[in-house]
Amino acid sequence: MRCFAALLAALMLAAAPAAALAHAYLKSSDPAAGASVPASTSRLLLTFTEEVQPQFCAVTVADAMGMQAQTAKPAPVPGHADELTVPLHFEMGGKYTVKWDALSTDGHKTHGSFSFTVSG
Amino acid sequence: MDGPAWLLLRGVCRGLHLAGYICVFGTALYCAALEPGSRAPGLRRLAWAGFALALAAGIGWFWLESAYILGTGKPGVILAALPRIIAATRFGWLTLARMGLLLAALAGAQTRRWRGAAALSGAGVLAQSGLGHGAAMGGGEGAALFLLSLLHIGAAASWLGTLPTLALGLRASPQPACLARRYSRFGVICVAVLLLSALAQYGLLIGRARLLLSTAYGATALFKAAQLAGLLGLAGRNRLCLTPALPRSRAALLGSIAGEIALGVLALLAAGVLMQLAPPAMAGMG
Ligand SMILES: [Cu+2]
Repeated sequence: MRCFAALLAALMLAAAPAAALAHAYLKSSDPAAGASVPASTSRLLLTFTEEVQPQFCAVTVADAMGMQAQTAKPAPVPGHADELTVPLHFEMGGKYTVKWDALSTDGHKTHGSFSFTVSG
Repeated sequence: MDGPAWLLLRGVCRGLHLAGYICVFGTALYCAALEPGSRAPGLRRLAWAGFALALAAGIGWFWLESAYILGTGKPGVILAALPRIIAATRFGWLTLARMGLLLAALAGAQTRRWRGAAALSGAGVLAQSGLGHGAAMGGGEGAALFLLSLLHIGAAASWLGTLPTLALGLRASPQPACLARRYSRFGVICVAVLLLSALAQYGLLIGRARLLLSTAYGATALFKAAQLAGLLGLAGRNRLCLTPALPRSRAALLGSIAGEIALGVLALLAAGVLMQLAPPAMAGMG
């Protein structure tokens, strides 16, 4: 029993440094929130805090007029279950807002949005 | 489908599903390890009842979770999307695989192959951890949470799951005192693992005492802890007062076990709801 308690303590210590995250929240993106990118940018990469189920995730990238820049549904990134990629095509520059809906492997839904600027 | 009432209903279905599943596992474990060769009447009926509950509540949970994933309550849309949910979500295929394991375990129970039944249903019980936050997170913390979840669910299922069978055994046994003492030793191990893994999970998922009252996750965990405290009180009384007084105290012990089962079901319902919520140590990331 003492041995078991020690194992638990070790587990907690091992886990402590990482900030606790759960549900699939957005960890980072490329283009990043607030970034300014050239019109030649051809894909959006989203990295989440948990593994996601791409078939049940949705991403739109639209400018202020509602013109959508994504050319297909979000696709999985092989070998990275916590990432989604979305092909993009920009007709014109301006501020674009990304809206994402994600389903994580624990069966929870999350959503969020952020913006970046396309120059040109 | 995203509202709190739906969340509660999903959680209740998941909790009942778990209760039925644990009942099948506990019956098999009891007959395989705690009272091998037990001929107490009603064992197989108990396993069947657990299976029926796990199946009915599991179907309810599956339907409601599918509706939640799809964001619609329309039966036609949900029905049409079921193959996609089974194929493309871990929730879908794992839940189906777990029901397959339970069916195989039931076939084992029917032919009194209790060890095989315990192994199959035990795997299905532990596989619930695959749908938790730990499994979805990855990394060192995810692995720690996953391991803690395995220990917690395993201990809870071993303890709560064997209570109904213990009641059957005590009622029929010519030597209830011997059986109760043996069970008591087993119970202490389960409770120790259960409490330690619960404490460690509290540290990782909640962290601060004030979050127990200020968040839905904390409040549900607190409710669950209250059921656990009640269970511990009853278990302590069984071990220290009622077991030594057997066979005179048989009726009182059976009543006390019934109380434990009731509290155990409430704790499982709370667990079902808890698994739908975001842990506060992890919130605020939107
Ligand atoms: Cu989650």
